[in-house]
Amino acid sequence: MIPIIGIMLLLLSIGLAVTIVFNEKYSKVISTVVSLIVMELAILLLYVFLAGAAGSPGSISENYMYYISNFGISLNFVVNPVSLALILMASVVSFVTMLSGNVENENLKVSSILVLLFELAAIGLFASGNLFIFFIFWDVGVVALFFMIYLLGSANRRMAAIKFIMYELLASLLLLFAIMLIYFNTPLHSFDISYITANYSSIPVGTQALIFSLFFFAFLINMPVFPVHLWLPDAHTEASTQGSMLLSGVLTKFGGYGMILAFIMLPIANEFTPVIAILAGFSAFYAAFVLMTQHDIKRIIAYTTIVEMSIVLVGISAFSTLGIMGATYAMLAHGFAISMLFLVSGTIGYMFSDRDIRSVKGVVRNSISTAYTFLTGVFATTGVPLTAAFVGDVLIFIAAIQKFSLYGAIPLFSIMLMGAFLYYVVNKSILSTKDASKPVEYVGTSQRVGFSILLFFIFLFGVLPFIALSIFSNFSI
Amino acid sequence: MQQYISMDEYALCIMILLFIFVNALSIFHKRKKAQLIISTTFLAVITVLAIVLLESNTYDIFAANLLNIYPFSMFFVALFSVGLIMVNIISYRYSKDYFAFSLLLGFVAFGMYSVAMAYSLIEIVLGIELVSLPTAFMIMVNGKENIEAAVKLFILSAIGITVLAFALVLLFPFDPQLSLTSISSMTGYLPVLALLLVIAGLAFEASIFPFNLWVPDVYSGAPANITAMLAGINKKVAFVALFEILFITMIPFSAAFSSMFQVLAVFTMFFGNIVALVQDNVKRLFAYSSISQAGYIAIGIAAATAYGVESSIFQIAAHLFMIIGTFAIILWLETKNIKTVQDYLGLSSRNRFAAFALTIFMLSMIGVPPLMGFVGKFLLFTSAINQGLLYLTLIAIINSFISIYYYARVMMSIYSKRPHEKVSMDWSIATVSLISLIVVILFGLYPQPFISIASTVSMSL
Repeated sequence: MIPIIGIMLLLLSIGLAVTIVFNEKYSKVISTVVSLIVMELAILLLYVFLAGAAGSPGSISENYMYYISNFGISLNFVVNPVSLALILMASVVSFVTMLSGNVENENLKVSSILVLLFELAAIGLFASGNLFIFFIFWDVGVVALFFMIYLLGSANRRMAAIKFIMYELLASLLLLFAIMLIYFNTPLHSFDISYITANYSSIPVGTQALIFSLFFFAFLINMPVFPVHLWLPDAHTEASTQGSMLLSGVLTKFGGYGMILAFIMLPIANEFTPVIAILAGFSAFYAAFVLMTQHDIKRIIAYTTIVEMSIVLVGISAFSTLGIMGATYAMLAHGFAISMLFLVSGTIGYMFSDRDIRSVKGVVRNSISTAYTFLTGVFATTGVPLTAAFVGDVLIFIAAIQKFSLYGAIPLFSIMLMGAFLYYVVNKSILSTKDASKPVEYVGTSQRVGFSILLFFIFLFGVLPFIALSIFSNFSI
Repeated sequence: MQQYISMDEYALCIMILLFIFVNALSIFHKRKKAQLIISTTFLAVITVLAIVLLESNTYDIFAANLLNIYPFSMFFVALFSVGLIMVNIISYRYSKDYFAFSLLLGFVAFGMYSVAMAYSLIEIVLGIELVSLPTAFMIMVNGKENIEAAVKLFILSAIGITVLAFALVLLFPFDPQLSLTSISSMTGYLPVLALLLVIAGLAFEASIFPFNLWVPDVYSGAPANITAMLAGINKKVAFVALFEILFITMIPFSAAFSSMFQVLAVFTMFFGNIVALVQDNVKRLFAYSSISQAGYIAIGIAAATAYGVESSIFQIAAHLFMIIGTFAIILWLETKNIKTVQDYLGLSSRNRFAAFALTIFMLSMIGVPPLMGFVGKFLLFTSAINQGLLYLTLIAIINSFISIYYYARVMMSIYSKRPHEKVSMDWSIATVSLISLIVVILFGLYPQPFISIASTVSMSL
């Protein structure tokens, strides 16, 4: 069998090295081609996985050299249904980011290097079969995005970047502490995720609860959910378009994926689920209300991320096969939708040199594609049927109602609140034709191509949900 | 265990002696370039010989019970020689009197080797003395403005050595030869007092709290090439001495020194990191950061196992390369009058390589994977957890978190958009920082060979 994950990571590293060496003129071309090939490899991975899923337990694993052999840490990659969906999403989003995210066409070399580095981290993280490798890729991704915010961001990037790095590295240190605790409490001293899942019962119950809460807070910061979400709005507003696309589209999924792993590894989580669900529900409403007071388009979209990831956490806290499936599907859908929304808002910001919904008016007059892509993005975020988010939300709320009876459906209203405000924004700013603002620049072809790729995936997984759902055919917890 | 003595061992000892001799000659022939080439070659040969002996796993006592050749000593001979090569190269251009520096370097090197290869406790004391006093003179020959730092270093290391010597006096009744072997019949309060004094004396050199108040003044007052040596090598010599005395002679008291080092490590980390938060002078900032790194290294001693020593050794090597690379760049920037965090604004537009290298070193000091500093910290933390010192790991993690802030501050000012003229880096600084950079990245990506060496080394202790 072809070691697809290995080839993907190798290709990305080679691409990274080549981009560093070559001069600015070629860097965008090289990195776009590399990420295109990686995206195709991810689709191939999906095919291989589906072809094997019928008979085998439905997971692909690859094993490479030892990193630190006395700890049994090797580069070992395992692809399960959750990670497969996220690898696919991450590679598509990175490709579009590379192709069309750099709206201003500035700093091509630095941005290409950082996007490739981040893509390497994301794919490695989602595919890791080993908590140690997971942690390493986590930190690489965080550092790549820190530089992305700081080097390519807008005026107030300094504060945003330092907030981002402090929050994220706090999360990574909690994570490090948790994985070291796990290592010393498993009987055979292992970082291996499948081994830990099989042997969690040998860890004392108190330690399990401690480890789970460390994991929980680390991933809560990253997702981000209410009390620890403060880094997100600033980071998204100040980052460049590419930075926001990757932050929201892929980085927040690190936390979501980790949360799913933590729940699967340590079923003691089941005892905390009501608290987690209440926290997630509160966070969704909180973010939906804060959203209404914002005027900057990017900031509004940043708060929708908090709402959506809180809904994902509701799905995870239902802690059933259906809930995990729903959470994965929602993350997949959200990755496509939110990166498209950030791409559109970056384009709008570039066109009008302004992102305030009170002053930007009549985008539809100047660029029909931008305006209607924004509208579709709003559909895709709020979970309108035939978009991918719909399937995810349906699965999540079925699972939540099964688990928490009808109380599980309460967070649904936060999506409605969010949707109401987003439609108001569309109505007031994007589609209003009264005294339309004059654009400074015009939208480029590469942005339109980027819109169409993301739209394709949003509708592909919305209209034909069985493609993604069939990878879960052998999945149960 | 006297057996057949190989050529390598003879060659090593002869090389070390010749090295001092040719360095002493430098003040007579006054040929700068020749002197640089000669001393670098000698150090390189010593490194190679030490690595050969390390790889062949030799155990021998050599030269009238003076030099103890075993993997532990050979590893540190090699490591210190590499460090000295780097310091020597950066001092070539930036030392005011390179010949005096060269002369003193011979003494310092001999002190380092005799600590690493010590057979008796006396040798350790003499070695420490040979390391720290010539260093004070190295600072002094650089001009009047450095005298304060030199005098501080001189007096404080003299105090440290006196305390250490007094500890040996207390051990004398138990072992009149003062050899570096386990003293079995230790009873009463005298050995405990000796243990305390050993730790206090060496803590002066190793910059462990509360004996480290001189460190920031001396580090920032000394020229940066000497600071690189102080932080990169001299401090490590004290740690080597600590390993030898604590884990060979004092091993019956391992519970006692383990608990002492837990306290010391906690205070050292907090002191270094919290004070570094408010520093504006970059050199001072890295002085405090290296104090906190000493705290991390002390965690390995607190764990008091072979595995703890192994992780300390790894972190010592990692920090040696990180800090020498950092101070090399700081030295070069100081001559361009770039000293404070504000002056560092827009460094990346002045010189891209310097900005990149400093960033990698700082990320490594924070402990961001996949860099060497991360592997070291990971090993240290696991060694502490392995001994059940959960709280120590937690405190170390909190400290890593605090340290992010001041490193991030420097990184951000390096990469702020402030256009400047390009400044080219001269070859000596570029070489040294490139060597450090390659080591930090390479052994971060693939640490396994280095870890197995560290493990052999700690087992041989």
